[in-house]
Amino acid sequence: MRLFGKTNIDFMGRRRMWYMVSATVILIGMVSLITKGIDLGIDFLGGTELIVQFTHDVQIGDVRSAMDKIGFGKAEIKTFGSSRDILVRTVEQGEGTFVADKIRGALKEHFPTNPYSVLKEDKIGPKIGRELRQNALYAVIASLVAIWIYVAFRFKFAYGAGAVIALFHDVLVTLGLISIFDGVFNLEISQNMVAAFLTLVGLSVNDTVVIFDRMRENQKIFRTMPLKELMNKSLNETLSRTIITSGTIFIVLVVLLVFGGEVTRGFAFALTVGIITGTYSSIYLASAAVLEWAERSQKKTQLID
Amino acid sequence: MRKYRTKLIVIAAAVLLALYFLYPTYKDYTLHSQMKSLRGADSVQFVEKNEQEIRENRAKRIKLGLDLQGGMRVVLEVNVLKLIEGLGKNKDEVFTRIMNDVREETKRSEESPVIIIRRKFEQEQIRMSRYFGSLRDDNDKVAGMLEDEAKKAIDRAIEIVGNRVDQYGVSEPSIQKLGGSRINVELPGVSKEAEVRQLLQGTALLEFKLLKDPEIAYRVMESVDRTLAATAAADSSDTSAVAAATGDTTKITTPEGEMNAEQFAKKHPFFTVALVNPQYPGEAMVAEENREKIRRWLERADVVRTIPDDMQFVWSAKPRILEGGKKFFTLFPVKATPELTGGVIVNARATLDPGFNQPIVTMEMNSDGARDWARITGANINKRIAIVLDNAVFSAPVVRGKITGGSSQIEGMDNLEEARLLEIVLKAGALPAPVDIIEQRSVGPSLGEDSIRNGIFSSVLATLLTILFMAVYYRTGGLVANVAVVFCLLFLMAVLAAFQGTLTLPGIAGIILTLAVAVDANVLIYERIREEQATGKTLRAAIDAGYEKAFTAIFDSNLTTFISGVILFQFGSGPIQGFALTLMIGIVASMFSAIFITRVIFNMLTDRPGATVSFG
Repeated sequence: MRLFGKTNIDFMGRRRMWYMVSATVILIGMVSLITKGIDLGIDFLGGTELIVQFTHDVQIGDVRSAMDKIGFGKAEIKTFGSSRDILVRTVEQGEGTFVADKIRGALKEHFPTNPYSVLKEDKIGPKIGRELRQNALYAVIASLVAIWIYVAFRFKFAYGAGAVIALFHDVLVTLGLISIFDGVFNLEISQNMVAAFLTLVGLSVNDTVVIFDRMRENQKIFRTMPLKELMNKSLNETLSRTIITSGTIFIVLVVLLVFGGEVTRGFAFALTVGIITGTYSSIYLASAAVLEWAERSQKKTQLID
Repeated sequence: MRKYRTKLIVIAAAVLLALYFLYPTYKDYTLHSQMKSLRGADSVQFVEKNEQEIRENRAKRIKLGLDLQGGMRVVLEVNVLKLIEGLGKNKDEVFTRIMNDVREETKRSEESPVIIIRRKFEQEQIRMSRYFGSLRDDNDKVAGMLEDEAKKAIDRAIEIVGNRVDQYGVSEPSIQKLGGSRINVELPGVSKEAEVRQLLQGTALLEFKLLKDPEIAYRVMESVDRTLAATAAADSSDTSAVAAATGDTTKITTPEGEMNAEQFAKKHPFFTVALVNPQYPGEAMVAEENREKIRRWLERADVVRTIPDDMQFVWSAKPRILEGGKKFFTLFPVKATPELTGGVIVNARATLDPGFNQPIVTMEMNSDGARDWARITGANINKRIAIVLDNAVFSAPVVRGKITGGSSQIEGMDNLEEARLLEIVLKAGALPAPVDIIEQRSVGPSLGEDSIRNGIFSSVLATLLTILFMAVYYRTGGLVANVAVVFCLLFLMAVLAAFQGTLTLPGIAGIILTLAVAVDANVLIYERIREEQATGKTLRAAIDAGYEKAFTAIFDSNLTTFISGVILFQFGSGPIQGFALTLMIGIVASMFSAIFITRVIFNMLTDRPGATVSFG
């Protein structure tokens, strides 16, 4: 079976149009990030988070009034999967499990005929929250730098820059979409979400590298071919592989998103968005960035010296 | 076939090795399902019969993270400030005021409390030696001493927490030092938070307890033995289990004449597993695997009735390792009321005795303690006193003579390591190691079960969809790639088992992604083969060229993903590390199976002249 025959798409010729598309998507995401913001999870804010499962369905409003009574009116309350499962989160800090004890007590008092069991209980001290935030930031920066160095070393500096620009794009688009879709799913930024971001960075650069690898190879064969044409040729040759691989990963991630359960939902969502934008950015942005660089510097940028 | 012998042997060896590492996981699973299907007495009997097998397989299986099996993770941090406050002497208002200032500042600052304290004292122009150390010490020396105490406190806290968790009976706890002043405690299957908090944060209790007279102790053990034998006779199935546990039929000579091991086990269930130490007839040695059994027996109501009120059995904290590497715990019969508690200890130090080059521990007591100690030691010369911390015996030295003046010397440790442990234990009684819980996560068992179910279901579904797609799209090539995917999963799980890795929920996601990565390598190769075929190459030449040309792309792209994995492993914690680990192992495993194994298969398939392989 073959989904793609020999294609001859002028990817690089239409790159300016795709810049606009990317810019628009990122802009919409940024607007949502600024107005709606992003849901920082307990890992990064610190505080106490409790997920309880009631025997019968409960209303969020009832849980909220229970929290109001003990002075945790600012607590975040949402359902977690089904309407029997409730997540309560507060940034309130207290000695030991003081805060969680209070929440559990209030729920017991407020719903005397609807007993619950605790599914998950987390308490993060303020110091730890700060550290986890710092570590997450370091991790993302470190991986971008490491990938830049590696790609620059295996190819050329400009290619490293192209790959990292594509990655920035992917991270921004995914962050924006997470902000927009938060509420439809539970998409809080937790440690798992940071892991998802690093993985999407890995997968996106994976695509980019495969395309660069083909360019490097073609450059050895077609020494006089202009860079733009060479890029189009390489992109067309690898297109089938790019779509097949990304398609398989996409199917796998959709399965995880739909059937993986509430705990991995945010993780799967970020990766699903990431695989789409990662594939797109590998084709339209990473190579295009190298082309822009080459045209600006008016030199024939070659992959091999 | 002969051409590929070496390669086939390599593959077969890898598969066999993988199965070898995965067998305990499989065995543990079947033993567990068997156990679950049994009820009440049957299940107890099953456990007793298969105790060793169950334990060995448990230890070697792929462990599940707390997010999958439920349990608690707690991060403790030594409260250095509280510790230092406790060390201060002649505390007055000035001291309290400065400490309050320091407390406020530590909340905001990243600096070590000792540095802050020193700065405050210097601002106020007060010598630190007014409250710490001896009067002549300058600030450098005092600050050094305080830093040293803070460092020692973490070891003490780990020892105290470890000892208690062990006494509490959590299976497979993990207690690790995190950085300089933190302890990471993982307690699978535990959900009673209040109890655990008490367990981790309560003050340590150090006691000196006199060992019971060996003859009396032996008589009590005999009556315990009789009680157990009586109930065992009433319930004959129980005896056969015990007999099976001992397993051999060598003759044993007893005062009642000769009998074989089975008869002996029937008559003396207690003495079969608790071996009386010929050197010290009062204490019994118990092999590690029998410790739980004896613990259960000693809690039985009828057994408790046979033990006098003023006596109790206490376990040694650490096992003794005898020839053959077998671990034995010692069961000490002690007087229930302690002679003295650890609050009287002022200092303890482990050193090498300069005269004999032997490790010794010196122990200083305050004047009250010293007075009592002189009376206690004087009255019990040549008897043994157990040093008990939180209900576990760390040492049971013999009293050589009356000790006056409060300074004692304990000898007979095997090495300096053991002496250091005793030093930590002795100090734990007097100098608490205050710890704060700075992070606590608990996952209920039901959420864990849900996660496992969802994780397995989505893994299986994702695998099936991928396999189906590959077979349809690449025909024979796809089938070969699917073989590679299965091998890849096998190797991934085996490496996880071999390195005692832990499977977490993000780890399952990592496995699913690995699958995609493994498929990608074959997609790269097949697309290349199709291209080469399109240029008119023969099948064999196209395959060779496809593998060769796809390799750099596979290698470079996998390496970048691997880099992300390494970074995740560095910065992440717990479950995230599990994800990074499976991702990294998966990349290596997928390269082996997707490149090496498939190549051997294709070469074999195309060996016959005129053979065809469809790449769709």
